[in-house]
Amino acid sequence: MADYFEEMGWQPLADGEAPDSLLHFARLLMDFGMFDVLGEDKKLPPPAAKEAVKNLEEKKCSDADEKCTICLKEYTAGEIVKILPCKHDFHPACILPWLEKTNSCPVCRHELPTDDENYEQYRKEKIRAKQREAEIENLHNSMFS
Amino acid sequence: MANNIAAQRIQREFKEVIKSDEVAKCAIRVELVNDNYTELKGEIAGPPDTPYEGGNFVLEIKVPETYPFNPPKVRFITKIWHPNISSVTGAICLDILRDQWAAAMTLRTVLLSLQALMAAAEPDDPQDAVVAKQYKDDQEMFRLTAKHWTAKYAGGPGGNPDFEMKIRRLTDMGVEEDQARVALSSYNWDLERATEQLFS
Repeated sequence: MADYFEEMGWQPLADGEAPDSLLHFARLLMDFGMFDVLGEDKKLPPPAAKEAVKNLEEKKCSDADEKCTICLKEYTAGEIVKILPCKHDFHPACILPWLEKTNSCPVCRHELPTDDENYEQYRKEKIRAKQREAEIENLHNSMFS
Repeated sequence: MANNIAAQRIQREFKEVIKSDEVAKCAIRVELVNDNYTELKGEIAGPPDTPYEGGNFVLEIKVPETYPFNPPKVRFITKIWHPNISSVTGAICLDILRDQWAAAMTLRTVLLSLQALMAAAEPDDPQDAVVAKQYKDDQEMFRLTAKHWTAKYAGGPGGNPDFEMKIRRLTDMGVEEDQARVALSSYNWDLERATEQLFS
């Protein structure tokens, strides 16, 4: 049974902790896939997690490198650029203000982790929903092919 | 003013747009309105095989100081009949101009996205509910109406004598032409219902 709670991303109440009715209601909506009622799909995703931003990879530019897609300026040799996990690179002065606004790569929308628990929950749920769909599809194919 | 990030970025984009292939094909164009790069005029050619084909659509583009971290404010100056564009104000409902904006997007990608929106409307996320309803209920009526608007406001080909006649009937009664066109378009060119709405 532990797996079930784990799969749903739930944790037992701590000692003396009371259930949060609002959270339960939100969960009920989520269970029915009604993130749109909560307005989650219309909101700009929250800023990237401070830790993730701090740990971004850096590199020194060589001549051959191209330009920063935020300011469209070409990199000069020896300049330090920040690299996102999706391998897209930017000037620190360009990418840092963006990641303070939202968590995704300006080029490919690859998402960095955030410090927003609700959003992380929503994201997990989205991934799980996709997995479930693939599993059902798989099951269906194995039964009827 | 011309030295902030937004202005510098627009300056660089200008070179990009001017160099690009779309300009050579006359599909999109951007012009400066003032010297400090905060206001621009865009132009989009109506995409082929749509009711907007042959028309030229002018856009007002306002660049915020926080650009490119925030999207430009864009609206149609040329009147257009489209589910995602207000037939009255020209306001546009497009996700990348709101919450789906990304800092690597440019005026070029915005104009190309708008051109794509003209070719493929999203009636389930409408800006103009009346147009969206017509689009869903009566595609042919929508096509004729949009084509008529393109001919009238965007310099597109072909007129529609039947529609023109109905508009003249209303202007003869003292209704302003644009107003008559909106009313008739909204009521599927039913002269009686449009008249009723205008005079009630």
